[in-house]
Amino acid sequence: MDTVINDTMRVGIVGIPSLSIIGMLEESGAQVFDLDEPIIRKDIDAASPYLPQVYCAILRTVMINAMALDLDRIYIDVGPGKCDSALHTATILADLLPGTAIIPTRNQDSVNFGTPLCRTKMPLIDRMSAITAAVRKTKPAVEAPPCLPTAGFWGVPPRDFSLLTLFPDTTHIYGWARCMENKTPDNKELEEHYNPEVPTVFFAQSFCAKTALAQHLARRHPRGLYLDCDVTVGNSAKAKIQAFLELSGVRCAPR
Amino acid sequence: MLLADFGTSYIKLLDTAQEGAGPRIIPTRDFDRNWRVDIATGHNGRKYADYYVNELTALARGGERLIREDCYTLLDCGSRDIKFVRYEHGQVKDMGWNAECGASMGFTIELLEKYYDLDFASLAVPALSFSVTCGVLGMSHIFDAVINGQSESEAVARFVKGIALNAYNFAGKPDRLYLSGGLCANPLFIRSFPCNLVPLGRFVLLEGLKGALALIGEHPH
Repeated sequence: MDTVINDTMRVGIVGIPSLSIIGMLEESGAQVFDLDEPIIRKDIDAASPYLPQVYCAILRTVMINAMALDLDRIYIDVGPGKCDSALHTATILADLLPGTAIIPTRNQDSVNFGTPLCRTKMPLIDRMSAITAAVRKTKPAVEAPPCLPTAGFWGVPPRDFSLLTLFPDTTHIYGWARCMENKTPDNKELEEHYNPEVPTVFFAQSFCAKTALAQHLARRHPRGLYLDCDVTVGNSAKAKIQAFLELSGVRCAPR
Repeated sequence: MLLADFGTSYIKLLDTAQEGAGPRIIPTRDFDRNWRVDIATGHNGRKYADYYVNELTALARGGERLIREDCYTLLDCGSRDIKFVRYEHGQVKDMGWNAECGASMGFTIELLEKYYDLDFASLAVPALSFSVTCGVLGMSHIFDAVINGQSESEAVARFVKGIALNAYNFAGKPDRLYLSGGLCANPLFIRSFPCNLVPLGRFVLLEGLKGALALIGEHPH
């Protein structure tokens, strides 16, 4: 494999590769695609020839993107900050895309970059977008003053961001999304942290191993609701969030 | 104020201005689509109301008004879906709304009652049940059982018990379960639950709308 990256290359990333890799990509000027995000607008079933239908929607999205984007290489994190499903996806991608270098990584970065976006007052969808966009950068997020939380969202950035629209702007973010902003995806202690004082939705993608942790923490939390969704967020999931927040005395964001 | 629970098969209406008058039930297919109500919940209700309360909120608020306990589970079995809320120490702890895997259960039971001309009050709870995850998929069990020589009433009873067990599992298998919805009037369905079942009738969501009315006042606009 050619180890030199230059600005003509197209590189995909899956999960959060370590800062040394992100720094190298930044320096090279290569075009970087976050394959976790729905870039190629195709039905999710387009991944079905390569991955089972009952599989993490994020990795099925990765598969659709990877098959269509004609990438030179893909850095795919398969370490403790990601999952075995990504490891197997890396194997499949290496088989399917002989012209693309598939490079598994194990991100165990432990320098804390801070979590201002997780704790500031701003529409939840905007903050989550900023956190996911920051995966491609080595710099910490811009400073933002913390607010008093009225609700909590624990979990990963959902495949369908419309799930986030009902939460008030004063919702604090916990779970792996907080680890993302902190640039420490393998920080178990940070991932398990929550605030028992605020009603919190514990979210995981359906068929993800994190469903177990989300369900467990929701049980431990005095006012926690477990929620899992697959590809898109249906009306019943939105109704659950809305009802939970209302019944917990939290005013939902208008939609 | 006119309150309405827009169910898939039936609409439940309550006019709070008519003192002493109870709720009315009209089949959804007979509903005049030019009508407007003040506060609504239920499938389709958003289109006809000035103020809409989501079904889980209405169910939970109804439970808060009707159940004098701090810890309980309340399950609503409708025509189209099933949903539950669970309270612990006076606070909502869990909830679920199953519109896909629990789909069309109530509707299918009513359909079968009419088609096979059954009296659910006279049917015994069978020892066995079908594994039923939704009304539509469960129908094939009935047809197969009848083809294999089982009586229609026995096959339907097994189907109904399967639906009750599925709903019970969905609600988290509580020792005591409060039930809301039209199936409260189905004796076979009630007896098929393997727990202490407390039927609250089909107006729990309307009761929840009264709770919403108390919160938002007489002027929902």
